[in-house]
Amino acid sequence: MLSRFTRLGTTLPRILANSGVRFVSQSQKSASAGSATLSELLPPQDSHDHGEVNHYVKNPDYHGFSTDPVVDQWNMRLAFFFGVSVVLVIGGTFIHYLPDYGMRQWARREAERLLKHREAKALPLIAEDYYDSSKIVLAAAGED
Amino acid sequence: MLKILIPTLFLLPTTWLTSSKWLWPTALTQSMLIALGSITWLNNTTDTGWTALNSYIGTDPLSTPLLVLSCWLLPLMLLASQNHLSSEPINRQRMYITLLATLQLFLILAFGATEMIMFYVMFEATLIPTLLVITRWGNQTERLNAGTYFLFYTLAGSLPLLVALLMLQNNTGTLSLLIIPYAKPLLLMPFGSKIWWAACMIAFLVKMPLYGMHLWLPKAHVEAPVAGSMVLAAVLLKLGGYGMMRLMIVLDPLSKEMVYPFIVLALWGVIMTGSICLRQTDLKSLIAYSSVSHMGLVAGGILIQTPWGFTGALILMIAHGLASSALFCLANTNYERTHSRTMLLARGLQIALPLMTTWWFIASLANLALPPLPNLMGELMILTSLFNWSAWTLILTGIGTLITAAYSLYMFLMSQRGPLPQHMLALPPSYTREHLLMALHLIPLLLIILKPALLWGWFAC
Repeated sequence: MLSRFTRLGTTLPRILANSGVRFVSQSQKSASAGSATLSELLPPQDSHDHGEVNHYVKNPDYHGFSTDPVVDQWNMRLAFFFGVSVVLVIGGTFIHYLPDYGMRQWARREAERLLKHREAKALPLIAEDYYDSSKIVLAAAGED
Repeated sequence: MLKILIPTLFLLPTTWLTSSKWLWPTALTQSMLIALGSITWLNNTTDTGWTALNSYIGTDPLSTPLLVLSCWLLPLMLLASQNHLSSEPINRQRMYITLLATLQLFLILAFGATEMIMFYVMFEATLIPTLLVITRWGNQTERLNAGTYFLFYTLAGSLPLLVALLMLQNNTGTLSLLIIPYAKPLLLMPFGSKIWWAACMIAFLVKMPLYGMHLWLPKAHVEAPVAGSMVLAAVLLKLGGYGMMRLMIVLDPLSKEMVYPFIVLALWGVIMTGSICLRQTDLKSLIAYSSVSHMGLVAGGILIQTPWGFTGALILMIAHGLASSALFCLANTNYERTHSRTMLLARGLQIALPLMTTWWFIASLANLALPPLPNLMGELMILTSLFNWSAWTLILTGIGTLITAAYSLYMFLMSQRGPLPQHMLALPPSYTREHLLMALHLIPLLLIILKPALLWGWFAC
């Protein structure tokens, strides 16, 4: 049984050529005797979905976009070109070459420059207080 | 900003004026060009943080990743919906694309808004196209109930937000996001200010969703068609996170006590919804609950208001947006073949559709936060900042991570491994469109590994 699945590619056209319209009905007795048909387990759906139409019958190069083969192929080309080549590649290149995103390289250079300057002048390398303590206004004791 | 907004707006005439043969390729091409344009917003080197700024809209490192994600999602939604809509009347197809495009427009305006009332109006406006998509194009009768839950949960949460924003406008004289961080702390009555805090936050907590108020999410995600699920999971939940991050700055001294119950709920929700995932029979419901779980972690990260918490939250939002949307697309490929969401009915797919298994594998690994994907980076940053806030949270987040890995693997093994059921001999092979859709979800996720600084917001800079 399982070995049949590895040959699904070649089994399919044989079943399709023989069974006619409904892809799911396996009318030949030899190939899949005893297996339940899809139509038994899943009753026909709403009116717009007449069973499982296999698009590969009419268009072996079906890409999943449209039943019209020309539109299907062009849609595939457009989707791949704009999706991959334009957005992912060109967009990705744009992102890669963004200058100093978030100014991190600048921050590093600035820090090194300030350190060099402060070491040369023998100033403290960093102020201990984060805020300027003269600007902090504290409430007098006893007030709320 | 206008070079993105005008093409998005003109996607509406495009859908109504294009011939029915070329409708989908044209809409797809235009939306991809809009996505390309949105990447230019990432060019952000200013010290002030805000770029593309005018009186009404602007972008900053917090909103830019979310904007790029929403713009990228529209072509993916179109790719995903093309097949299941192909049998519908052409005007219904046009209407569907119109709804997605208007949703996109509102989302861009929401994330780009510099003024809180504009953000609020756009936040509410996104509800309408989403509601229409869920209730008119959903597949089961439960979609009406789902739409009701979705609409009223969010509205009930956001009406107090309107009052709170008006109060804030009264007090500070402005609601501009550029000025609000520098406004004086508000002087309000002791109890009234707590109510005001809750009014500000509840809308976003319901949207995220927080565990106790999450009931709308599984319904809405499951009943929505694939594009609805994608946009809900990827972007609309993040509106909640984004709103919270913006408002947290204003709410400051109050938040010290007020966040406690919500952090607890969020972390408990991570574990609870993760455990619910392990017991799900419906594939879309599993992915929906997994969204609640991840968003619980994001909510926890935002509520503790530390730089790493915010950064981790933003990274996880973007990474989860891509991964969760990818999982919904995969679930849809199953659904289009079997017309059922029951996982037991679609087992052993690795034998029948081996190439799709690759995508299932990568998406499941992304969901369980495999390094070096950004999902892990976000989760780890939130985990460590929560641990810094309180060591006990490690128990909850650790168990949560474990359960996340468990249900992601469960989902993968249930759908791909095991015996192929007898009734599934007649599955059409995977289409090029489906492979492209999955690639366009997961390749950006992998590319983010190379430049994660894009997602750090202005907290970790």
